[in-house]
Amino acid sequence: MGELIAENGIRLDGRKLDELRPVKIEVGVIKNADGSAYIEFGNNKIVAAVYGPREAHPKHLSLPDKAFIRCRYHMSPFSTEERKPPQPTRREIEISLVLRRAMECAVFLEEYPRSIIDVYVEVLQSDGGSRCASITAVSAALADSGIAMHDLVVGCAVGKADDQIILDLSDKEDKEGQGDIPVAYMPNLDRITLLQFDGIFTEEEFKKAIELAIIGNKKVYEILRNALTEKYFKLGEEK
Amino acid sequence: MSLKKSPIVENLRKTQMLDLMSKQKRVDGRAFNEYRPITIKLNPIQKANGSAEVSIGNTKVIAGVKIATGTPFPDTPDQGLLVVNAEFLPLSSPLIEPGPPDEDSIEVSRVVDRGIRESQMLDLNALVIETGKLVNCVFVDVDILNMDGNLFDVAFIAAALSLATAKFDKKIVKEDGTEETQKVSLPLRLIPVSVTSITIGDNIILDPTAEEDSVLDSRMTITFDEQGHICAGQKGGSVGLPVEQLFKIVSISKAKAEEILLMIKKVVENA
Amino acid sequence: MTVVRSKVLPGDLIGDVPPGPLPFNTYRVGNKLYSLKVGLAEVEDKEVKFIPLSGPYIPRVDDFVIGTVVDLNAFTWDVDINSLYMAHLPAQDVFGRNFSSVSNSLTEQFSVGDMMIAKIVTYDRTRDPLLTIREPGLGKVLRGEPVKLSSSKIPRLIGKKGSMAKIIESKTKTKLFIGQNGIIIVQGPPDGIVLAIRAIRLIEEKSHVASLTNMINELLSKEGV
Repeated sequence: MGELIAENGIRLDGRKLDELRPVKIEVGVIKNADGSAYIEFGNNKIVAAVYGPREAHPKHLSLPDKAFIRCRYHMSPFSTEERKPPQPTRREIEISLVLRRAMECAVFLEEYPRSIIDVYVEVLQSDGGSRCASITAVSAALADSGIAMHDLVVGCAVGKADDQIILDLSDKEDKEGQGDIPVAYMPNLDRITLLQFDGIFTEEEFKKAIELAIIGNKKVYEILRNALTEKYFKLGEEK
Repeated sequence: MSLKKSPIVENLRKTQMLDLMSKQKRVDGRAFNEYRPITIKLNPIQKANGSAEVSIGNTKVIAGVKIATGTPFPDTPDQGLLVVNAEFLPLSSPLIEPGPPDEDSIEVSRVVDRGIRESQMLDLNALVIETGKLVNCVFVDVDILNMDGNLFDVAFIAAALSLATAKFDKKIVKEDGTEETQKVSLPLRLIPVSVTSITIGDNIILDPTAEEDSVLDSRMTITFDEQGHICAGQKGGSVGLPVEQLFKIVSISKAKAEEILLMIKKVVENA
Repeated sequence: MTVVRSKVLPGDLIGDVPPGPLPFNTYRVGNKLYSLKVGLAEVEDKEVKFIPLSGPYIPRVDDFVIGTVVDLNAFTWDVDINSLYMAHLPAQDVFGRNFSSVSNSLTEQFSVGDMMIAKIVTYDRTRDPLLTIREPGLGKVLRGEPVKLSSSKIPRLIGKKGSMAKIIESKTKTKLFIGQNGIIIVQGPPDGIVLAIRAIRLIEEKSHVASLTNMINELLSKEGV
């Protein structure tokens, strides 16, 4: 074993190889938004809000037969170790794109032709795996807004450190490990909607990593279900 | 990020507001000089040197402080840097679209910056590490998370609180000559307060909601220091402000500032 | 006849696909029916009912809606009906066929910020909804307090054959103008308006609870005017 994982398979933050960081989700936190959610994933603190579907401005953005999703992933200047200037960086623009694609797989776009769905993500504190945590928050916000979706989407990364496949990389493991695979997943349809990978993996390792990612995603899914149930079904019981 | 068009507040609603106002009442039952409930959460962002989440009514913001080292400005070699920035996040309102900051967003940013700077809240000279070469740079960034009027005051309180409770590592040379890293606060001289009001005819109304903003004649934001001195201010709105009314506003705002200052100091003490 | 009720999230299985058209807000894969939204599903024998708990208002022809004028040009008013599309009221609807933009001024009838009760005349997926105010009971809203409620909860506010709305009106001495699009105008004495709005807020919070009718009755009996 090396520096990130000890002899007994315990990681620097005390977790086992297949253990998630603590996750907390709260639905409906931005009053003005049509739907919103706040997530804490390890030390990540992220807020997501949805406005729409609504009229597209400018009109030429709209598509005649389905909705258009516009996504903005942004990190607050105080969210990282070194202050990050407020202007969007290329990394944020790319993450906005993969997030959008991840949600397009699930949202029933044909239900809302000629309209636009605005998805906003603000990372208030960042700690490795923020894009996966963002996807879960966005899903919660979309469900909160009542936009039709074929399935919820959750996110959880896997990676490799000290030659071990590990679940849900921390910031340090992300920076100093051997590989990083963020995965977004639709649990009922059993489909992957976001997948990026870097690092060197054998085919065996890659397969093992994806399988572990799905297990991790299913755990995140349960937490997301509880959060939505908490907001929508908790107040009073059905007979 | 820009408010492309002012919110359409229904004429019925405007009539109702003006009607109530003539009876010295507001739609939400508040008195003219009453603020909505103020909630404060300190240190929500542990990675930042200091942070505060502040709500006044439904307007909610998070401010974060990051402290770094850098070179001072050439014309102030003996002062640290202080930069205050406020962002209208598109998630805070249906009227904002993504893009570079527009004039409203920049105005809030600069008014809050001036309030903190001109009140001399921080002793910038005490942020020097090596004159002319190395100083501490203090960045305050305010995220507006939900908009419902009075962005100036909420952003201001959050910025001031996050500065007042910020901690950073400073190398101290001890008596025996050895160096030690200690967690210290920023060199705080005082805590300033800003009070925002609008005028509607003869009425002076503090802490306006977004709805009330839609019927304003004029708006004033005034920053006070702990002695009640006026440090900075800005007039908004497109209607001329009668001079007598301005003096009334100053006096009402000053009284309110004292109240708010007491509350903020209690929060800082209990931190 | 067993009724199976379930609380579902997007992607959850509701049951077998029922005969006839699919209920709104559901989709099928093979012969299984799934939910598209957070909501309550009721399966009785082969019948499926689905009630979403949130969601945008999708216009329907013949719906009564309440909207606010946000813009106007020489020939139409643009009316915000709190939906994903802007609605339009053609000047001809108000002035008649002999409408002329030179002699008839639109702002005299409705200016920006005015509210109206209207009916949707045409709507399809390729065009914005068109409104009319030509029927009795439609037109400019001159007084009252506008209240917003999620359009998916309007049926609960109306109740079976209008029963819920009627109870609220009688116990608060108010008149409720209810738009299918989730905008309500409450008219009446100030105390009555405040209580009616409380009842509406209670429906918003507890629309998924079976005993809601009892809760509303309790609230109104205790504090009715």
